[in-house]
Amino acid sequence: MSARDQLLEHRPSIVVAGLGTTFGVGLLGVTHVLEQVVADSAVASSGTVSTLLGAVASVFVGLALYVGAIVTANTFATVVAGRTPTIALMRLLGSSARDQRRAVAREGLLVGLAGAVIGVVVGVALVVVAVRVLVAQGHLPDLAYSYVSVGGLVPAVAVVLTTVAAAWVGSRRVLLVTPLQATDAAQDVPLSGRNRRVVRTVFAALLVVGGGLSLVAGVVVGLADVTGVLVAFAGGVLSFTGVVVGSHALMPAVLHAVGRAFGPSQVARLAAENAVRQPERSTRATIGVVIGVTLVTTLSVALETLRTFIHTLEQDPTYAAELDRFFSTTLLVVAGLVGFSAVIAAVGMVNDMSLSVLQRRRELGLLRAVGSTAGQVRRMILLEATQMASTAIVVGVVLGVVYGWAGAQALLGSANDGALIAPTLPVPLLVGLALTAAVLAGVAALVPARRATSVTPVEALAAR
Amino acid sequence: MNDTTSATGATRASSSDPTTRLADPTPGGAAPVARVRDVTKSFGEGEGRVDALRGVSLDLPAGRFTAVMGPSGSGKSTLMHITAGLDSATSGRVLLGDTDITGLDDTQLTLLRRRRIGFVFQAFNLVPTLDVSANIELPFRLDGRRATADERAWIDRLVGTLGLGARLTHRPHQLSGGQQQRVAIARALATRPDLVFADEPTGALDSKAGRDVLEVLRTATTDHGQSIAMVTHDPVAASYADRVVFLADGRIVHEIDRSSAAEISGVMLDLERVA
Repeated sequence: MSARDQLLEHRPSIVVAGLGTTFGVGLLGVTHVLEQVVADSAVASSGTVSTLLGAVASVFVGLALYVGAIVTANTFATVVAGRTPTIALMRLLGSSARDQRRAVAREGLLVGLAGAVIGVVVGVALVVVAVRVLVAQGHLPDLAYSYVSVGGLVPAVAVVLTTVAAAWVGSRRVLLVTPLQATDAAQDVPLSGRNRRVVRTVFAALLVVGGGLSLVAGVVVGLADVTGVLVAFAGGVLSFTGVVVGSHALMPAVLHAVGRAFGPSQVARLAAENAVRQPERSTRATIGVVIGVTLVTTLSVALETLRTFIHTLEQDPTYAAELDRFFSTTLLVVAGLVGFSAVIAAVGMVNDMSLSVLQRRRELGLLRAVGSTAGQVRRMILLEATQMASTAIVVGVVLGVVYGWAGAQALLGSANDGALIAPTLPVPLLVGLALTAAVLAGVAALVPARRATSVTPVEALAAR
Repeated sequence: MNDTTSATGATRASSSDPTTRLADPTPGGAAPVARVRDVTKSFGEGEGRVDALRGVSLDLPAGRFTAVMGPSGSGKSTLMHITAGLDSATSGRVLLGDTDITGLDDTQLTLLRRRRIGFVFQAFNLVPTLDVSANIELPFRLDGRRATADERAWIDRLVGTLGLGARLTHRPHQLSGGQQQRVAIARALATRPDLVFADEPTGALDSKAGRDVLEVLRTATTDHGQSIAMVTHDPVAASYADRVVFLADGRIVHEIDRSSAAEISGVMLDLERVA
């Protein structure tokens, strides 16, 4: 395989590493600049402020890197699956499985380094431009800013490490490739191995159940006392961790259910099966979007419910308007910071669709040969993408509404004389997410669908 | 997701429909189910041009089992792909029944393959995400319908004959190579197509499983009058056919009626010597 082909295969991973680094370096750079502004204004508690800013920024950066690592692990797993014949040939010629896996991990290192370098350059440039613009407009004092701190480069190092780790995790299947597969690539490899991760599933179930109970307890305690919100928060963190840990069991099940909703036609049925044929791959492709959407929805629902509640108490129109502005700004900033992880996850989902369709060329050729029209094949791919995108977003919204409401309820229950409060649903956000799902599905399906139907059935059947 | 209303017209029952099979058998011999007229096929341009077919004319008689043989690169697969509407000819005409398929667009060709042609490839015949039963019914389901009671009875009979009864809920990777080929044959025969097209159907099988598959194809012709065209380079496989057509360098060079594997090998060796 030429270096150019490898670069093409890894381009999405470089993009993900680059996005993660840009976000991390950029956010920490902004934090760094803000610290200097605060220090300059000589607020007594500037040390506390910068610690707080740094901590908050780290949480968002950590989230983006975590999602990025999931996406990259998935991409590497997909790339390895596509390279099975080559790896098998190398094994046949005497290379050990460990050597082959190490080679993939080395590629991960290169990908991480490339992404980190690009990300540092872009991230620092963005901060410089943003600060200069704000200074020129008079929003920031004209100081001799330093834009990068040593700590501000930590995300770049973290990206390199997580990318290598992701490549290592994603290359696990290299160990399963047998030399014999070089001699007969004709048979489709059986769908990925049985899920024997019982311990993990049980652990996840315990987290979900325990966290869920804690969430309920938080709501109940909150009816009497405002400290209930802390209990609910712990419950939310625990149960959502459980959801992520147990995603290998949850996501395929939900994908399957959503797939059935698309109807009994052959095209829909094939699409539904495709979306769960590689459960691990589909899980990783969707869970990042689930994480991003859940967090954005949780925050929106909690803040909107809080705003509605305060409005019922506060009658002064001037103060109410100010309050609205405050809530809107907070929501926008926080949603933007969390949403970045969702963007990285979306890149991963598009990439997953693209690669998996590419690796199914022969099967698509067979379908064309036995009588699927080009339109049917395109619809199948579009439905598959729609299924993934809508499943991820629906799961995220449902979880987010539950968490957001529970948080607001636990916080406000006692102030509401121990009565329940209806959640306020942020309609613009929900509409926006629905549109995002549609766009995401369209983008994820567009290129693969065109590529899949641009070749004759004979060419597709001859593909390996 | 319903493609029953197609560019090729109404259902097969209509006698004016161009996609229905050829009536009007010529007396004294089987009418051809497919006619290939002076077909050429070239790949590439200029210096790198390769002529895979150089003016081939051939009739595939209805209700007969025809084998197309030839060394690698003789153009036999290309010929069959073009005859089956999987690929287009550079020039010349192909008629399936009365339909000139060289003039059909991609969708029309697709519907023709779905309704009037059955396929058995060397390997990778089955959709891995569908079980045996769904793979067999794929052509009907792609048509947006279920098999009718009559078709259902025919499929059940095929399943019984091919010994697939206990396998209907299995996925392809749970089957042996021979079983997979038998599922492919069941699918190919299920629509009672004008022509079944088999491309090295035994190429990936051991000799016992290969003989079983050939026996099944042979029976489809003798018992049900199924027209079959099979591409192969294996004289044993070709010996199951009613007629063997030999291709070399993109031209038909010889033709014999049903013969033993030894006789067919002899012809092949003669052709190699001339070449």
